[in-house]
Amino acid sequence: MKHTILLSFSLLSLLSLTACKETISPSPVIKNVVPAIFPDYTGVTVPSSIAPLNFKVMEDYDKIDVIIKGNQSGAIHIQDKNYAKIPPKAWSRLLNENKEGTLEVTVSVKQSGEWIQYASFPIHISPYPIDYGLAYRLIAPGYEVYGKMGIYQRNLSNFTQTALIENTLMPGTCINCHSFCAGNPERMSLHLRYEYGATILTNGRETALYNTKTAQTFSPCVYPYWHPSGKYIAYSVNRTQQVFHEAKGERVEVIDLQSDVVIYNVEANELFSCPQLKSENTFETYPSFSPDGYTLYFCSTESKLLPEEYDKLQYSLCSIPFDPMSGTFGTEVDTLINAREVNKSISHPRPSYDGKYLMYAWADYGNFLIWHREADLCLYDLQTGRRRELTEVNSPDADSYHSWTANSRWFVFGSRRIDGLYTRPYIASIDEQGRVSKPFLVPQEDPSYYETSLYSFNVPEFITGPVKINVREIEEKALSKKRIQMGYKTP
Amino acid sequence: MEKQLRYVGLALSILFGVIVFVFFGYCYPYHLAYQEQFQLFLFTPAYLAETASVPGGPAGYIARFLTQFYYVPWQGAAIIALLLAALQRLLLCLSRAFGDKPALFPLSFIPSLFYWILLCNEHYMLAGVVALIIVLMAARLYVSIGAKALRVILLFPALSLLYWFSGGACLVMALLCIFWEIRKRAYGRWQIAGLTMGCLLLTVSLSLLAKALLVQYPLSKLWTGAGYYRFQTIFPSTLLLLWVMVSILPVLFRYLPIASKAKTAWTGTGIMIAALTLITWQGVSETSDWQKEEVMAYDYHARRQQWGHIIRMAGEKAPSTPLSVALLNLSLCKQGRMADDMFRYFQNGPEGLLPSFVRDFTMPMMAGEVYYHLGFINTAQRFAFEAMEAIPDYQKSARAIKRLAETNLINGEYAVTRKYLQILRHTLYYSKWAVQTLALLEDEGKIDFNPEWHTLRTCRTHTHFLFSEQEKSQMLGILLQQNLTNRMAYEYLMAYCLLTKDLQHFYTYYPLGKEIAYRQIPVSYQEALIYLWGLSNNNPATIPYPVSNEVKRRVQEYGKIYTTCQHSEPMLRPQYADTYWYYLHFRK
Repeated sequence: MKHTILLSFSLLSLLSLTACKETISPSPVIKNVVPAIFPDYTGVTVPSSIAPLNFKVMEDYDKIDVIIKGNQSGAIHIQDKNYAKIPPKAWSRLLNENKEGTLEVTVSVKQSGEWIQYASFPIHISPYPIDYGLAYRLIAPGYEVYGKMGIYQRNLSNFTQTALIENTLMPGTCINCHSFCAGNPERMSLHLRYEYGATILTNGRETALYNTKTAQTFSPCVYPYWHPSGKYIAYSVNRTQQVFHEAKGERVEVIDLQSDVVIYNVEANELFSCPQLKSENTFETYPSFSPDGYTLYFCSTESKLLPEEYDKLQYSLCSIPFDPMSGTFGTEVDTLINAREVNKSISHPRPSYDGKYLMYAWADYGNFLIWHREADLCLYDLQTGRRRELTEVNSPDADSYHSWTANSRWFVFGSRRIDGLYTRPYIASIDEQGRVSKPFLVPQEDPSYYETSLYSFNVPEFITGPVKINVREIEEKALSKKRIQMGYKTP
Repeated sequence: MEKQLRYVGLALSILFGVIVFVFFGYCYPYHLAYQEQFQLFLFTPAYLAETASVPGGPAGYIARFLTQFYYVPWQGAAIIALLLAALQRLLLCLSRAFGDKPALFPLSFIPSLFYWILLCNEHYMLAGVVALIIVLMAARLYVSIGAKALRVILLFPALSLLYWFSGGACLVMALLCIFWEIRKRAYGRWQIAGLTMGCLLLTVSLSLLAKALLVQYPLSKLWTGAGYYRFQTIFPSTLLLLWVMVSILPVLFRYLPIASKAKTAWTGTGIMIAALTLITWQGVSETSDWQKEEVMAYDYHARRQQWGHIIRMAGEKAPSTPLSVALLNLSLCKQGRMADDMFRYFQNGPEGLLPSFVRDFTMPMMAGEVYYHLGFINTAQRFAFEAMEAIPDYQKSARAIKRLAETNLINGEYAVTRKYLQILRHTLYYSKWAVQTLALLEDEGKIDFNPEWHTLRTCRTHTHFLFSEQEKSQMLGILLQQNLTNRMAYEYLMAYCLLTKDLQHFYTYYPLGKEIAYRQIPVSYQEALIYLWGLSNNNPATIPYPVSNEVKRRVQEYGKIYTTCQHSEPMLRPQYADTYWYYLHFRK
């Protein structure tokens, strides 16, 4: 009896698996190669909560047939005219049933009435959970002028993207530099520029708009990084200029003509700094705090004649002790990676929250590396001081801005590998031994999205939950032009 | 008489359509081509969803669909003519329901004439006309419903639907319906007051509901709806006036008295027609910007590489704005005539040769043509990108996308070229080109077979340098140095020196032209050389360059007048305005 039930159940499952689908047997043409699919999900490692990895084969075909089998249990069989459109519920179930296991994906395509079956490829399911989602800016990768842009959040478990704030609300406004305190969606810093210029700070209860330009700083606050306690935010202040390349292969150079690092004391509403971070002869930028909050990392270079010597700007990775109790700095600046020694320029130092690593991007020169094709991601082991290029994730095109998950087991980064211009978010995992997986492109419901979208994914940041902001309150406050003036504490 | 008036009315509607067609098709066609380039209408579900998801979006979608036909201006003119005539006929039809007074038919032309005047301003979008037509169709449907209860029941969902379709123009529907109920006397005074309140409340609630759903738009924009005017922060009061007019005109058909005698009625109608004709004439004259039309004409022909056409236009009427002069100079250069003939036309300095970048959606689009043909491919690409991003209503631009595809293809950036071409495949007028170009991608042989791309790849810079508005002559110098036979680069470099009156550099760079193998020294160079020679020598005849006798004769005559007369400019202008000397001495 038991066997009969099992047999009936299996037959039913098989029937449901193949219901309304064209059969590709008895004799499809077998190609012993893995299919070229977009996005490339062959051999990637994904979290068990990720949205369906819909994809298409990079060939013309009349129909696509995909069988996804779990190595532990379950299977999904799909057929479609356009692309592998994986049913979300079945996908989620399959991932959960095969946690820490592998999915085997077999792809067949029908071309001119004939089915062609490719070699199967694996998708690995990681034991590590990933954060709720991503926050990023969508903006056309332009030069000085910008059109529609906005900051958006994306739930990584499905395809839902919602706008946090778009400049349709305040036409002409540039919105940039969203930052969260260790991914906490309640603590956010965000800048509005031009007519309604302000820095928006949220703490979960209230939203306030600040004027961050002070008499002691030469610009409003720019690149932010929250102190793990949430009591401080490190910002750079930058006087920036864009210059434009005329030779092919290069487009834009974003140069800092001057830059310093300042710290904002959230409770006291005042900025402060120290001579080492505000030197006349050096440019300091891209600050970030260590996860224990006792070290401030930043990038630094000697000033040059600009813009003429733009290609001689090479930033070193430095650190300075910071005492969060007193809000004071140590006296010694430690150079972790000397730009001259490595003949590279370093930017975006981001320590993992477990304190093991510091990830940064480097390129031949400059600090706005998304415009540098040679830009790659590197990993600095904070315990051993060893550094290495992340060859597992880097590409011949720009790989730059990155962010860690709260558990430090995943990182997202922006890459221009698809077409050399439009930045797309890729996610990779790193295990306890420091082994990095092949990155996967954040899935979209229609995989053609990335090919047709005219927007770049700028500054992808992990968030541990959905960001809840009151857009109408921000609109009201921004339009009122009333701002809380940040103070500046001189030592 | 009434029958005759109806026939006359119909004939005038047709005549009106024909006049509008002739105006936009033959007098004002370049404004239409200008409109077309600042949108990217895609036949994709995503584009429909994005465009139609805001109040007034469906009207905007229809308008954008129609605007793409402006690529061929006479088609655009036909569309505008049909829409304006349809607006008039619909209003007449609705007005007749209010009061069948054929003698008043000229009043029904007022909104269409008014919109004709508005459309002469390139920032008024077709969406406004489409929205009004939708509203009038709905209103006509409403008045045709006999059952008063059904009318009112349908009114509120219809208003909601219209708000989504036509945006704030649904207010016209609300007013017309209220006026209709007053006219029909189907309801009592208090019921009408209740209906009015209901309509007002619904209109307000719809905007508030839209704000709750579309939180990323300012409420003011949700009140009015999207897409009537190019600049998003502005809602012209003229549109509000138009809406009021459309709402009131049918009521006038009910209450305005008409003469009972045929002769008087005909006279009244005639006077109305004459008055409207005069007012429209005045309005169109005042709102038409012929200088802009001229610049747009230059751009239209430059975009299509009709260089001869541009030179002929300049021959008929000298261009005066930097952009049109820049496009004329480009045309002269492309036809091999710049070095000889540029001073035969008005020149307004280096901006009329290589215009500087302006944060705007029009100027970089047009000026980009000059940089593109010179081989400053990255700059042409940047100008196209910036122009597209500067479009005030956040639309993309088919023209800019095409230029981005071209420049990336020339740069060998095939992946991103493919992206742009795939997008253009979903358009009407750029699809064929996109499909043809997609077939060539990554085939260097086929790409090099295209003479334009081949030339630009050859003459573009291979040296690393940064674009500088202040160092254009150095940039031209770099282009020339890497290929001394690059005639365009040489002539632009020389022209730049001449226009900036930098004769020292002109003299230094002049010998670089020996590789160009001119049959004779171009006239403007002869004029500059003989002028320079004259600064240190009394006898121009001894100049060591093969300067023509004609130039030698003219410089002597010019010099005589210039040196002997205190106010020589008016005397020199008739005969010497086409010389470099005149530009040097009298043009700022």
